[in-house]
Amino acid sequence: MIQEFLKKFRKKSPWLLHYNAGSCNGCDIEILACLAPKYDLERLGVRNTGNPKQSDIFLVTGPVTMRSRERLVELYTQMPEPKVVVACGSCTCTGGVFRGMYNAEDGIDRYIPVDVYIGGCAPHPEQIIDGIVKALEILETKTKEIEQPKKLMGKITENDGQTDKTKMAGSL
Amino acid sequence: MKKTIHIPIGSQHISLLEPVRFSFECENETIIKVEADVGYVHRGVELACTTKFKFKQVGYVVARVCGLCAIVHSTCYTLGIEELMGIEVPKRASYLRLIANELDRIHSHLLCLSHTAENAGYEALFMRIMKDRELVMEVQEAMTGNRIQFDYVSIGGVNKDMNSELEGVIRNKLGLLHQKVAEIKELFDNNWSLSLKYKNVGVITKEMAYRSSLLGPIARASGVNFDVRNDSDYLPYSELGFKSITMEGGDIHSRNMVRLFELFESIRLIETALDGMPEGEIAAKVRGTPEGESYMRVEAPRGECFYYLKASKGQYLDRVRIKTPTFGSVPGMIEALKGSNYADVPAIIASFDPCLSCTAR
Repeated sequence: MIQEFLKKFRKKSPWLLHYNAGSCNGCDIEILACLAPKYDLERLGVRNTGNPKQSDIFLVTGPVTMRSRERLVELYTQMPEPKVVVACGSCTCTGGVFRGMYNAEDGIDRYIPVDVYIGGCAPHPEQIIDGIVKALEILETKTKEIEQPKKLMGKITENDGQTDKTKMAGSL
Repeated sequence: MKKTIHIPIGSQHISLLEPVRFSFECENETIIKVEADVGYVHRGVELACTTKFKFKQVGYVVARVCGLCAIVHSTCYTLGIEELMGIEVPKRASYLRLIANELDRIHSHLLCLSHTAENAGYEALFMRIMKDRELVMEVQEAMTGNRIQFDYVSIGGVNKDMNSELEGVIRNKLGLLHQKVAEIKELFDNNWSLSLKYKNVGVITKEMAYRSSLLGPIARASGVNFDVRNDSDYLPYSELGFKSITMEGGDIHSRNMVRLFELFESIRLIETALDGMPEGEIAAKVRGTPEGESYMRVEAPRGECFYYLKASKGQYLDRVRIKTPTFGSVPGMIEALKGSNYADVPAIIASFDPCLSCTAR
């Protein structure tokens, strides 16, 4: 009952967590341009926050570099459910031009489940807005069920605050 | 016994655009020790340029080193390869490259200014500068076909020509931008609350700038008159009468002022280039393969971008070495942070305009 009640507010003010997992900055500045007056993502209630514990949408850019894997997985696990993951940019979806480079992985969906893929190098702000709107639709259908990263050493439960998060990304 | 507090910032933080980690040792509010870690976004572009991609493709790969100064990287690489292959670039292509480079500088500086304003707590100014920045983004999209990551420069010339209609659009939008930047400059100069955050904060003296080998707007704000556009004629800057801007203060305010004056200079350069645009081809024919070694430097929005190329008549290069501007400015950033107030940290970091994707590549 109360879940149904809260759903309405969640859709009206989804907060956004942005993490750069090794991109070239191109997508990041397009996201900033999205939040600025011309494209104005804030009309949808979206606000950029730096805190994973307050966010609903996880906006990732860049192929996952070796050093950012653990941070990516940790940020994902710190976000409360329901949450959606948006992969922004070609290299985030598939690895793009960085595919096969020795220090980069082939996209973030090896590590965390992705809901919306936005292609393009770099995506146009209108594309990013489309992606966020799509993500909001998905957010409505999601429940409080715990979602887990794909590569994770131990299982986490609702009461488990003691997980060793340094090993979460798994072995190479 | 003195007690110090250890505060880490990063790798993910709201005031940082990119993953960089600082760990501060604070005594009360004053910072006494700083450590910086810049390698979170290392991807291995340099090796891939010599093993995975042929030399004709590398120009588009090195653009992906950095999204903000993509055109600088591809220009620098292309100029180096043209030197190795002995290609004469048509004059019109040189002028078009110059216009694209200066447009890139304008949008990068505007982004930096907006980010500094946001970190000083003035969010309305952030929004305002981002709105004005859209003018130059529209110009870039009209001229090259993409807002950022426009693969405009190719070996031998450029990929897209300009017509009189486009020229009108550029003149119109840049005229509008000139007025807007003048208004913003007024704000940065006279606003009292911004001056509290900017004036005499994060000071870098001339000696410090020399000792930490700082480059670009940061060095010019400390009184070091060094600009690659003056020293080497890689693009026709001297024909257009380029003048570098130097200020004496060395604090955040003077860095902002240098960037603002450079915006006016860039707008003037583009307008002069449009006035004297030569007619002719936009690309020369490319034959053969590169051989030898070349050193090339280009003035990026943040300082000097340096490329070393080595080739021996193959489709693949032997070595591509990239030295990016932010890599040189990290020691200076640490110097400026030492002894400053902890509350000023985001503003100081933003005033250096760090580009970590460049640094780590």
